[in-house]
Amino acid sequence: MSNQPIDTSIYSAISTAIQTEAKRILAEEQVSAVIGYTTARRQGSAQPIVITAANDAAKLIFSPACVNNLAVYLTKAKKEIPKQGRIGIVVKGCDLKALVGLMGESQLRREDLYLIGVPCAGVLGSTVQPATALTSDSIAPKCSECDARLPQGCDFVPSQTPATPELEHKYAAEIARLEALTPHERWAYWKEQFSKCIKCYACRQVCPFCFCEQCLCDRNKPQMVETTPRPAGNTAWHIVRAMHLAGRCAGCAECERVCPMDIPLNLLNRKMAKELKELYAYEAGFEVQDKGPLTSYEEKDDQSFIK
Amino acid sequence: MVEIVGSTMHPEKQKHSFEPKIIAFVCTWCTYAGADLAGTSRMQYPANVRVLKFPCTGRIDPVFILKAFQQGADGVLVSGCHPGDCHYIAGNFHARRRFAVFRKLLEFVGVDLDRLQFSWVSAAEGGKWVEMVSDLTERVRAMGPMTEFKELALEEQWSGAIDTPELKEAYNSI
Repeated sequence: MSNQPIDTSIYSAISTAIQTEAKRILAEEQVSAVIGYTTARRQGSAQPIVITAANDAAKLIFSPACVNNLAVYLTKAKKEIPKQGRIGIVVKGCDLKALVGLMGESQLRREDLYLIGVPCAGVLGSTVQPATALTSDSIAPKCSECDARLPQGCDFVPSQTPATPELEHKYAAEIARLEALTPHERWAYWKEQFSKCIKCYACRQVCPFCFCEQCLCDRNKPQMVETTPRPAGNTAWHIVRAMHLAGRCAGCAECERVCPMDIPLNLLNRKMAKELKELYAYEAGFEVQDKGPLTSYEEKDDQSFIK
Repeated sequence: MVEIVGSTMHPEKQKHSFEPKIIAFVCTWCTYAGADLAGTSRMQYPANVRVLKFPCTGRIDPVFILKAFQQGADGVLVSGCHPGDCHYIAGNFHARRRFAVFRKLLEFVGVDLDRLQFSWVSAAEGGKWVEMVSDLTERVRAMGPMTEFKELALEEQWSGAIDTPELKEAYNSI
């Protein structure tokens, strides 16, 4: 498919709407803080910001470089961020799914949040410069199969509608390619991918669902996963990581974005999401569910693999 | 006169070139009791299996299976109560979903699922236990040793490899 441009002209109107709304809720003291995006030093780049004063609302922006999932700042793993009173947060559709997942796991309460939803046409992939124009090539792979461009159930959503054309589903294609290989070939593929891992745990730090006070993979009595960046421990870490996110992952693909070694981490997450959809008709969405697919069961569940 | 028939008590053991290591994670209420029944009934089954007793299949974390393979298991058997018979009411229902998903993950990473067997064996099914262990042992024996995880464990840290002529020269000059 040829490289086609993606219309991001609505982003400036969205930025203005976010600023106005943030200013209003801060001035009316509806919220104690607003978590959003602001311009960073490199041209075109953006970074997360927490504002507490109505006058700072003008700093907020939304652009194709607003890649971060801000939901991670609300988890209990990020102790350095004080969570007092109601907090406003700027969310894209994928980020909202993460927040909804956290609400389902009793980590957050809806009434403590003021959700500013963003109609999102897509954000940039992790391998391009932040000032790059958004096209079907430079867009993040997760955005090419996004079904959540308009967030639902937010307190405020700017009225713009994104017009992103239908794009090639990169993860689905790659999963299909790997599934067609023999187990031996798949092992060789993942062995090479996992051998790159340097165990920086950036994927864990950035994941909204990795909020455990102590990670199983850090425990040494008994040690379940070797902590040194050797191939054996790396493989175990990535398998455990994918398993612990199965049925919880919202698909924000932050793990893959932050990976300094470019390991296709979201590929494992997408594969698990695909299996959970087929097995238990579960998909991450905008509706808070008390029980996830792996914390509930039905008596008629498939057991054809059990003798 | 009592005729001693030694051959039926101790049948000739067949010699194999490869004896697989099978790790069995079993629940204490059903499969462990089932295996016990097989023992007290003097049923014969391969000694390749190492049984690890858990309170419930719901306690068997997928990471245990991973660890078993990493520590040199050639095959893994996970067995517990039949659905509806769980001592803790729903432990095996939860386990069933978890393992259904975990085996899909292992398959995607490239583990041959023929090495991993799940089963329901009740306390009365000593015969089924024997059949399960024998089948898995013979299947894994035919497949040969599980080399993937063992090779991985022996591999060095990637940054420690002296794999370029420049590095080799520098190393030799030390």
